[in-house]
Amino acid sequence: MSNLQITGYKCKHCGRIHYPRHEQCLQCHGREFESIAPEGNATLLAYTQIFNLPWGFDERFLIIGVAQFGNGIKSMGQIKAESLDQLHTGMQLRPVWEPVRYVYGEPVYGLKLEPMG
Amino acid sequence: MRDVAIIGVGMIPFGRRDQDSLIDMLAYASMKALDDAHLGDKAVDAVYVANMGGGILQHQTGIASALVDRLSLLPAAADLVENGPASGASAIKNGVQAIASGYSDVVLVAGGEKMREVTGWRATDFVATLTHPESEYPYGITLPGMAGMFTRLYMEQHGLTAEALVAVAIKNQEMGALNPYAHVEMMITKEGIFDSPHSVVNNPLVADPLRLYDACPVSDGAAAVLMCPLEMARELTEKQPVVVAGFGQATDTHTLQERDDPTDLKAVRLAAQQAFDRAKLKPSDVDVAELHDAFTVLEIAESEHVGFFGKGEGSKAALAGLTRFGGKIPINVSGGLKARGHPVGATGVAQVVEITWQLRHELPKERQVKNAKVGLTVNFGGFGNNVLAFVLRRAS
Ligand SMILES: [Zn+2]
Repeated sequence: MSNLQITGYKCKHCGRIHYPRHEQCLQCHGREFESIAPEGNATLLAYTQIFNLPWGFDERFLIIGVAQFGNGIKSMGQIKAESLDQLHTGMQLRPVWEPVRYVYGEPVYGLKLEPMG
Repeated sequence: MRDVAIIGVGMIPFGRRDQDSLIDMLAYASMKALDDAHLGDKAVDAVYVANMGGGILQHQTGIASALVDRLSLLPAAADLVENGPASGASAIKNGVQAIASGYSDVVLVAGGEKMREVTGWRATDFVATLTHPESEYPYGITLPGMAGMFTRLYMEQHGLTAEALVAVAIKNQEMGALNPYAHVEMMITKEGIFDSPHSVVNNPLVADPLRLYDACPVSDGAAAVLMCPLEMARELTEKQPVVVAGFGQATDTHTLQERDDPTDLKAVRLAAQQAFDRAKLKPSDVDVAELHDAFTVLEIAESEHVGFFGKGEGSKAALAGLTRFGGKIPINVSGGLKARGHPVGATGVAQVVEITWQLRHELPKERQVKNAKVGLTVNFGGFGNNVLAFVLRRAS
């Protein structure tokens, strides 16, 4: 059982994986989906380090990326790294579910990704 | 369907306009467009207003009703069009469809945004509200952040170089310095922002690998166009009509992560193709283009996706000067979003205003493309999830 609060949607007709949710499959317009949870570690597909943060963040910078889980779910997440020197596309990341921001002092949980050594 | 002509255009200088409200700016640009057409008391049937953030930034809604009243154009129909940073082109498209279909004859489109009355922190958050509320926004992703991820992929896969981005930044700021409507009227040098010890201080990272001078400024501003059926243009005004020869619009996935190839700006490709098909013209017919360079990378990527250059060739073209004023296909002779600024609701309208001036041959010679007959605009909404293109043609 994954503790990641991410639900992917696998089209029962063509197998395409969706996240977030759609009412119809992006590929075949099928309407039936199997709910799936992210499995295993994730592969880094894209990333950046952002220095001009939006309202609501006190950090000096954020490293954000998109990663793909073993079963095909792709998700954005915050990357737990100090510098981009630790990262390259295609590397493996370990997913954890932790606060990603605070709204009026309350944590908002989301996907964080740790580079695997 | 009827052919649609642009008969009046107007713009106010973009920048920081503390003294003007959002409605003030929309009204000033609208009056300029009405006066430009010398329309006198001829009735305006419909007004389309492009604005993305009035509800969030000014805590004001019903913007179109407010503007039509301010202009005393009552009882003209009035609608607000909100389509993120592509609101401007969307509003024009609505006006074109209203005229082409025969429902309206004289349509005013005004686009405006007032972004400088909030802090940069708030403005960044405001634009980020167009990201996916569940799978993107909570992480703190910003539009520069999206562009940063896109840029790295483009560098890894399509031969984009930091040097090509710098060439776009310098070109657009050079042209912006000649444009009295531009927010940024400052020339920059390659040494200052790229290859000297000072450059990392002058030009810090914003969203790696994008730097400060890769991004457009946050601006206030407004622009407006007045349109009517081509067949009526000659009797309504003595101005040289510019024909909306074709428009295109396409959408793509809300999130970047769901695109099979995130470096394929599918909506740009499809919108441009549709616009060219409707105009019965091709990319090589274009004399001058205004592309949506909210980030330098987008000018290069769009120049490939609209068909000016093959994929991977846009960088080389920028470095070779092909997209400069006087080059093979001059792009963003106005300075683009990079120098003119990007008051989001105004941008798509400002692009059409600029191309109209080009096609009427009304600009000062240092930035008038000689004998320009066909122009292209691309207005890029979301991170490429809603894109519009116009092909404009000087009426014979
Ligand atoms: Zn399917």
